[in-house]
Amino acid sequence: MTDRIMNHKILGTIQPELVPFRWNGEIIHGAEGESLAAALLANGIRTLRRHEKDGKPRGIYCNIGHCSECRVTVNGERNQRACLTPVEKGMDVEQQTELPHLVKGDDAHV
Amino acid sequence: MFDTIIIGAGPAGLSAAGILQEKQKVLVLDEYFHAGGRLLGQLYEEKKGKWWNGLEIARKLVSDTQDKTEIRLSTSVYDVELDDTYTVHTTSGTFRSRHLIIATGSREKSNPLPEWDLPGVMTVGAAQVLTNFSRVRPGDKGVIVGINPLSMVIAMELGYADIDVAKICLPPENLLSTQKPEDAFETLVSLGHSAPSRFISTGAGLAGKAKPIHPAALKLFPKNGIRAMGLPISIKEKIIRINGTEKVESVTVQKTDSKGKPLNGKTREVKCDFVCISDGLAPLSEIGSLLNLKHVYAESLGGYVPLHSEMMETELPNLYVAGNVTGIENAKVAMYQGQLAAHKILGDEDAAMRSLSAITHERKNAKVKFHKDLLQGRETVETMWREIEKRKAE
Repeated sequence: MTDRIMNHKILGTIQPELVPFRWNGEIIHGAEGESLAAALLANGIRTLRRHEKDGKPRGIYCNIGHCSECRVTVNGERNQRACLTPVEKGMDVEQQTELPHLVKGDDAHV
Repeated sequence: MFDTIIIGAGPAGLSAAGILQEKQKVLVLDEYFHAGGRLLGQLYEEKKGKWWNGLEIARKLVSDTQDKTEIRLSTSVYDVELDDTYTVHTTSGTFRSRHLIIATGSREKSNPLPEWDLPGVMTVGAAQVLTNFSRVRPGDKGVIVGINPLSMVIAMELGYADIDVAKICLPPENLLSTQKPEDAFETLVSLGHSAPSRFISTGAGLAGKAKPIHPAALKLFPKNGIRAMGLPISIKEKIIRINGTEKVESVTVQKTDSKGKPLNGKTREVKCDFVCISDGLAPLSEIGSLLNLKHVYAESLGGYVPLHSEMMETELPNLYVAGNVTGIENAKVAMYQGQLAAHKILGDEDAAMRSLSAITHERKNAKVKFHKDLLQGRETVETMWREIEKRKAE
């Protein structure tokens, strides 16, 4: 499970304001202003992207904008780092998938 | 035109801004969407009942600066030029200033191991930010690969949020990662004073400060690890691979002897749903490289740091550095370094000297020390700085 930590014995209690946004067309909720990476994880979504070359799943790695593993498409704009992008109400977020192989054809991946 | 641009809204950058803003027009840039840098997420007990809560400290630094200082978040710097002034090219436009402070902080280093690209594998810092800043659990049960002060502190933080840490082990040995049980043991001993563990205290007694570590202490270390500071630490086990198809399902653990040599047939799987990889921190010195600063390599500082004086000056006029870009230390040191750079810019030598003493004092008394040879690393940089200054004078 990847629940939110509402009560923390040292940091106290939080009550995040949840807003709806879209993930691959489906409406889910995130806390406004938190990172997309955190919001997706709170919804149990670990696979943020499928690798361009082989379609293998990729998720959060560094969580501070350095590794670029968490790239997603936000409101049509590709390659936005989910860990650096704050959740906004009504945002449209999509997972990126493997790319067609330009030399060998669509279904030949190496 | 700004008087000073500060790259990095972490403890160093914001502390510098807090002083400069009284006399100058200041701009702070940061690529994250929230000011505070890696203060966000820090949480440890300094003394019994007295907590270092990075999030609160970040809030205070921001409330002290947000009225007088311009802080631009979600802004990445991709080039800096120097002619008469500094020109800083960013994703939010181009800005100019007379003075520049590089306070870019550090990044985490990683030891690669098979299947480390599976969802659920992350740096310890990522787990820290998720847990303490985003308040989202990185998972239910984690395994930490890498034994160092940072991974130990964050392992404890996961515990405060009731997230189970199943094991803290060494990474597999390869060209990039050569950490041996004795190195891990030394780390544990260095944390010994804060470790309520009889074994480590005994180990500390056996090993003392002498090198090499007493072999008997290592041999005695239980092969399945110990619990210290509430953490399941194992220095004679290495995580050799991560397993799973769509996400992390388990790790494969290899038992080793006290020299780190794998014991044949002694592997087992430990179930977990997330894995944290940790190999310490390295200064983020790209901006210094863009300006062609000389860099000095010091392992105890985390890697290459831009050549600088203990007064935070660099080889270029009006260019200062502060915080972890100068070497890996705690946030308090970073804050004092930021203040020092600011005092130098304002020409307040007395205040600068006071900041320098505060840094020296904090270095001596820091609860979390990132590297045992830190002072040696600092000395290397300072010696080279003095040599170059001397050559210039001749």
